[in-house]
Amino acid sequence: MGNAIAAAIAILGVMPSALGEGMVCAKAIEGISRNPDAVGTIRSSMILGCALVETTAIYSLLISILCLFLG
Amino acid sequence: MVSAIDLGQLFLTPTIPGEVWSSLIVMLIIAILAIIIGIQAKHQDPLKKPKGLLLIAIIGVQFFDKFVEGLIGTRIKWMGGFVMGIATYVFISFIFSLCGLPSPMTYMAVPLSLGLITFVLIHETSAKYTGLKYFKRYVDPIPIFLPINLISMWAPLLSLTLRMFGNAIAGFVLMTIISWGIDSLAGIIIPFMGSVGGWNVGSIILNPIITAPFHAYFDLFSGFIQTVVFISLSTIFIGQELPEEIDVKISEKGDVI
Repeated sequence: MGNAIAAAIAILGVMPSALGEGMVCAKAIEGISRNPDAVGTIRSSMILGCALVETTAIYSLLISILCLFLG
Repeated sequence: MVSAIDLGQLFLTPTIPGEVWSSLIVMLIIAILAIIIGIQAKHQDPLKKPKGLLLIAIIGVQFFDKFVEGLIGTRIKWMGGFVMGIATYVFISFIFSLCGLPSPMTYMAVPLSLGLITFVLIHETSAKYTGLKYFKRYVDPIPIFLPINLISMWAPLLSLTLRMFGNAIAGFVLMTIISWGIDSLAGIIIPFMGSVGGWNVGSIILNPIITAPFHAYFDLFSGFIQTVVFISLSTIFIGQELPEEIDVKISEKGDVI
């Protein structure tokens, strides 16, 4: 029981990461609408940025899995 | 006292996890490919157009050289080859679970080894270019920061390792949950096919149809993105330790302007 509660609290850490990813996409679309010629560069930077932002969410997921199975 | 039988059991019993065998198979594939490309390159007539595997290899080398040049310039000559080798290994490791064998990335030791390579290279590059001033990085800016610096020096290793391991394990967990879901779904929709070993036979029919897009995302796309992120971060971390690039222009007479 304690494991499950700890895992649930740990997985809350994905919330800010999701917000951050939304911001990355919003800014990328803004950039594309300002300068449609740079769509290729912006897209590749956006995917790289998304992957970097996602890392924090994955740390939470890892800790959550550890709490569930090893706690 | 350790007898010969005990030693034999230690090496012969299959205590090596499956992921390590997968890692060895991936290395074997890359080694065989490299040997084939090397032989082809040796026998290639330089006046004729390359084709097949050799052409792909040439395009790859050019791509990775350009990639490194865009990030840190041409200050380290071996960087392009290093990045190409690491990228091939990481990408094939990520998509290796599509063959039905365990992906090496879901075993913590494999991403940790890859992270350690970058970690050692960061410090080696720093020590090579700054000499004895290398130790100044631990007491920067004042000696009281020594404990903080000693902790923060492990941050790149930890982030590189956990990023790849976490992505691989997240994909693995989600694919397992989807497979479970499909199995219980098959038990409801097509229960008349029976079950073998606790798994419904109907899920064998449903699984390839439903899980294919998820495999494409979690294995192919995620693996590709993580490869790009890993090699970019490795290159940037190592490039940070280099001294400032001095733009030296040489005139037609040979004088430095």
